[in-house]
Amino acid sequence: MQRMLRLKRELQMLSCEPPPGISCWQNEDKIDQLEAQIVGGSNTPYEGGVFKLEIIIPERYPFEPPKMRFLTPIYHPNIDTAGRICLDALKLPPKGAWKPSLNLSTLLTSIQLLMAEPNPDDPLMADISSEFKYNKQVYIEKAKTWTEKHAIQKNQGSSTIDKEVDEEARNGKALLKKRVATSSDLEKAKKCCI
Amino acid sequence: MSDSSLINQCPLLLPQNKAKTVYDGFITVQEQDFRIRIVLPSDHQLKHASFKCCWQLKALLQARLFFSLWCKSILLSQEIALKNQQAFLIAPPPQYYSQLIKDIEGLGWDKLSHISTDFSTVRLKAEDASGREHLITVKLQTKYPDEVPVCSADLPVPFILSWSSQSCLKNIHSQFLAMLESLKQFWDVMDEIDEQTWVLEPEKPTRSATMRRIAIGNNVSLNIEVDPRNKLNTNMHLWNPDYSILHNLKEVLEIEFPLPGSQETSNFSMDCGICYSYRLEAAIPDQVCNDPRCGQPFHQTCLYEWLRGLPSCRQSFNIVFGECPYCSKVCTTFYDYSVAGFV
Repeated sequence: MQRMLRLKRELQMLSCEPPPGISCWQNEDKIDQLEAQIVGGSNTPYEGGVFKLEIIIPERYPFEPPKMRFLTPIYHPNIDTAGRICLDALKLPPKGAWKPSLNLSTLLTSIQLLMAEPNPDDPLMADISSEFKYNKQVYIEKAKTWTEKHAIQKNQGSSTIDKEVDEEARNGKALLKKRVATSSDLEKAKKCCI
Repeated sequence: MSDSSLINQCPLLLPQNKAKTVYDGFITVQEQDFRIRIVLPSDHQLKHASFKCCWQLKALLQARLFFSLWCKSILLSQEIALKNQQAFLIAPPPQYYSQLIKDIEGLGWDKLSHISTDFSTVRLKAEDASGREHLITVKLQTKYPDEVPVCSADLPVPFILSWSSQSCLKNIHSQFLAMLESLKQFWDVMDEIDEQTWVLEPEKPTRSATMRRIAIGNNVSLNIEVDPRNKLNTNMHLWNPDYSILHNLKEVLEIEFPLPGSQETSNFSMDCGICYSYRLEAAIPDQVCNDPRCGQPFHQTCLYEWLRGLPSCRQSFNIVFGECPYCSKVCTTFYDYSVAGFV
């Protein structure tokens, strides 16, 4: 009951005024699955990349946090190879800090912030974390390479995002409209693909 | 007490003979020097000491207090005690008492209900037109009548005294009477309620009590609050059945009803902070965060659902305590047994 009311309102808010560099939309057929995109922040190794996330809204939302996972591979101390994110706001208390006062928009913004500022003291990927701590240059290089390989859309590699882009090109403008592109980088990338 | 400490404390109080039985000199009390002469008996027993000083110092020292301290034989503590008790030991000048007596005579001794032993607090009685007796407590300042006395009375509205240096107790009394007269109607109404109904609360209504909880039946009571400055009664004649209810309400209450604010902005502050909506089935957000600075509204079911899942949640009977999801301060809601299927 609360889930539907709240989702409706949140999607309305996300389409009206999405946070900068973030877009989120509903999956055509499933109501409890959303998709989101975060544009890598400037002056970070993820600059120029568009990172896709999968959001699953649990039955008890907003009493339980949504499940968020990166679909685009990302080289980050707090995000594992399966795309799972180590962020306290994504877990229920007492372990986590999820509260119903948070929402999809604030969570995606927190993830964007986590991308810009990793938290090596609470690592998910121990080796990336120690690299970030003690050998930052290597970390930056690797993260940039991963971004180029998986998250920059003109690359016709094997990442999931590319398949999505092909599909998007086929579906044409209808789908494009749904995405609220907030960064010129994203816009450019899309034009390239089309 | 040794001589050296005496000299330290009271350098101007000096022994006048070798046997040290006679002291003469000055002691400093409240930054003023007073002449003092102490004659001790030959055994130096302070109990039998004689003590001479000027009348100002005597006035400062309440005899009983002074002698009890004196008998403890510590000059030092006497001085400290004097300093501490400075405030109430300053007796008003003699004019104060003569003025006060003149005032009371002017007012009539029958109006005086009580006077405190230090003549600083006077309680006056007054009777209103319906024969109810009222008391007013007047706390007089030392510089009376130049300083405004502090008045307190059992009234539903604050008693504001207008005072000039020419005013006296009689003015207070007449102002109090005028006040009683203006409240006569209010007390008539309250007395009627008290006499003819079963008032559950307050148990012994004071004259200032504007609230009454009246029993109607088993577990049913009516809570009424009477505003002594009420406009409804005076405007009642303005109600005209020919006009619409809204028009009449505006006339009687002398207010303009605010229109709902613009949809977009006002909605958000009214919505439940958990489900982001206003209507949840039939319910509207009826719980708010206890902290007035937060004041976030919630549906009872939403807030209960969130609070009960918290590790820090506590429940006392049907009250549930937990942290507000917005401000993290303690927030409460109730556990609705009817929803849970207990009733």
